[in-house]
Amino acid sequence: MTETRKPVGMELHHAIVSHYSAEVRMLQNQQYRQWFDTVIAEDIHYWMPVYEQRFARDRRPDPTPGDAAIYNDDYAELQQRVDRLLTGQVWMEDPPSRIRYFVTNVEAFEIAPFEFEVFSNVLVHRNRRQSEVYVHTLGREDKLRKTDSGFKVFSRKLNIDARVVQDKNLYFFA
Amino acid sequence: MNGSSALVDNAGASQSRRVFWDQDVYQLELERIFSRCWLMLGHDSLVPKPGDFITTYMAEDRVILSRQPDGSLKAFINSCTHRGNQICHADSGSAKAFVCNYHGWVFGQDGSLVDVPMEERCYHSDLDKSKLGLAPIRVETYKGFIFGCHDPEAPSLEDYLGDFCWYLDTIWDGPDGGLELVGPPLKSTLACNWKVPTENFVGDGYHVGWTHAAALQMIGGELAGLSGNRADMPFDDLGLQFTMRHGHGFGLIDNAATAIHVKRDGYVKYLEQTRGGIREKFGPERERLYVGHWNTSIFPNCSFLYGTNTFKIWHPRGPHEIEVWTYTMVPKNADTETKRSIQREAIRSFGTAGTLESDDGENMSSATYNNNGIITRKGRMNSSMGKDREGPHPVYPGIVGVSFIGETSYRGFYRFWQEILDAPDWAAIRANDDTWDAMWTNRNFWPERLSAKQAEPQD
Repeated sequence: MTETRKPVGMELHHAIVSHYSAEVRMLQNQQYRQWFDTVIAEDIHYWMPVYEQRFARDRRPDPTPGDAAIYNDDYAELQQRVDRLLTGQVWMEDPPSRIRYFVTNVEAFEIAPFEFEVFSNVLVHRNRRQSEVYVHTLGREDKLRKTDSGFKVFSRKLNIDARVVQDKNLYFFA
Repeated sequence: MNGSSALVDNAGASQSRRVFWDQDVYQLELERIFSRCWLMLGHDSLVPKPGDFITTYMAEDRVILSRQPDGSLKAFINSCTHRGNQICHADSGSAKAFVCNYHGWVFGQDGSLVDVPMEERCYHSDLDKSKLGLAPIRVETYKGFIFGCHDPEAPSLEDYLGDFCWYLDTIWDGPDGGLELVGPPLKSTLACNWKVPTENFVGDGYHVGWTHAAALQMIGGELAGLSGNRADMPFDDLGLQFTMRHGHGFGLIDNAATAIHVKRDGYVKYLEQTRGGIREKFGPERERLYVGHWNTSIFPNCSFLYGTNTFKIWHPRGPHEIEVWTYTMVPKNADTETKRSIQREAIRSFGTAGTLESDDGENMSSATYNNNGIITRKGRMNSSMGKDREGPHPVYPGIVGVSFIGETSYRGFYRFWQEILDAPDWAAIRANDDTWDAMWTNRNFWPERLSAKQAEPQD
């Protein structure tokens, strides 16, 4: 697909990439509350739809937020997921697992004053218990708003590449 | 198999840990359980129109389920009869025919071989296409739910579900059309034996408060008191447990159908509006079921939570791995918004990133993999909770346990599991139809309890 829009300039691009680096550092350090308060806008739609494997000729439409989705959260629902992790009663995260994020292929476009559509690729590497390793690749489509307190994401669509998820759950933020 | 009786001790309420680990046990399960039982394929709602198909599994066998031009259903093995290739790689769709990628053999919607490229030039009229259709599978439906079976000697689906139909009718038939499935299914792998989630769904009310402590605390509502097992609750009066002739079973939490759902106004309203119809159609005993929450397994590998409405198929992938498929059950005649809200809440709690499901996978994996240790594997697992507080009930079919926290339906699941592993054929199983529940010796438990509590309306 040829992109006819012009990407943001170097300085803005750098600011967005830096924002993403700071964001994943919070997640890697399990600073979930701080992550939520710092980068999530109150009008967030946090969405990971389910894509079936269909024949190329299949004309059925792509999934909408009204369809089955692994994540389909608003602000309060996402907050509840954060709160759950902070109860101290999520036994599978005790001892905590290790998670590492690699965010690449960042492309940003201005869609309105102070609003940007940003595409990126995300590789998530989870280490659990002694020797469990899970790797996920996702395409990420963000809508960011530039505010006085930095960028806030108000729409995040996560396209997980695996049809059959190779992990016991996807309870992590990306 | 020699010694399979040692795998399950009904009287002592224990199982060998080998049931979760041994390759030879798994092999026997494939032959004697998955090749002989009715396995869940889907629901009418997933293949509504002629030509519609889904691909699924029966254990490790790939299967196509296809709606015929006359509205009937056929299922067949998804493997070319020429050199064995998988024929259809799409999850679902609509197709006039299925064409093998390898040499281009064409199979019709009914699985018959309809065209072979260059047939005349290459086979010189020597190919009997009528004998080379895709291997057919028995298909029957119950209240719209579609099952497949490989064994011509197996009972009808209705007889296989047996005494469980009385319960299923409450929700699958419902007041006005019952439940349907919505997909597409979420799919994920989990490193566990297929029986671990099945037994968990069939009868584990015990883990709810502890495993899911964090999630219940966040969700609040009716079950918040269970979180961390802190509440002092009279468990005997909060629900029941049931087990059936063929190992199906469930646990009921009274008045808690929608307890796991956070946004539930539409669903609560729907249940309130329809419970009167259930009372009229099925009586007060089943109205009680209708407004309760069920954790359920249909033997062998299909589970659901009625109320939460998550619907699972645990496809085995060897003894130590499964592929989890998650659909949602929704009332067929609810409005679109209510259906969507039910699906959202069901997946939010018990989908791949579910607030409760995420707690379970770890346990299921650990309960399987710990048995790789040879000394560990020599041990046994205990399922004795509530052992003498159960028996035949004057109203509810099967064997009924007194509390939703108990292991009645574990015992019933493994009782049938052993029976079918030991049985050479379905005739041998049928021979036990009148004596299957003899292991429950406390025959007067319910009559005595009910007469003692006669003043109280329920139980």
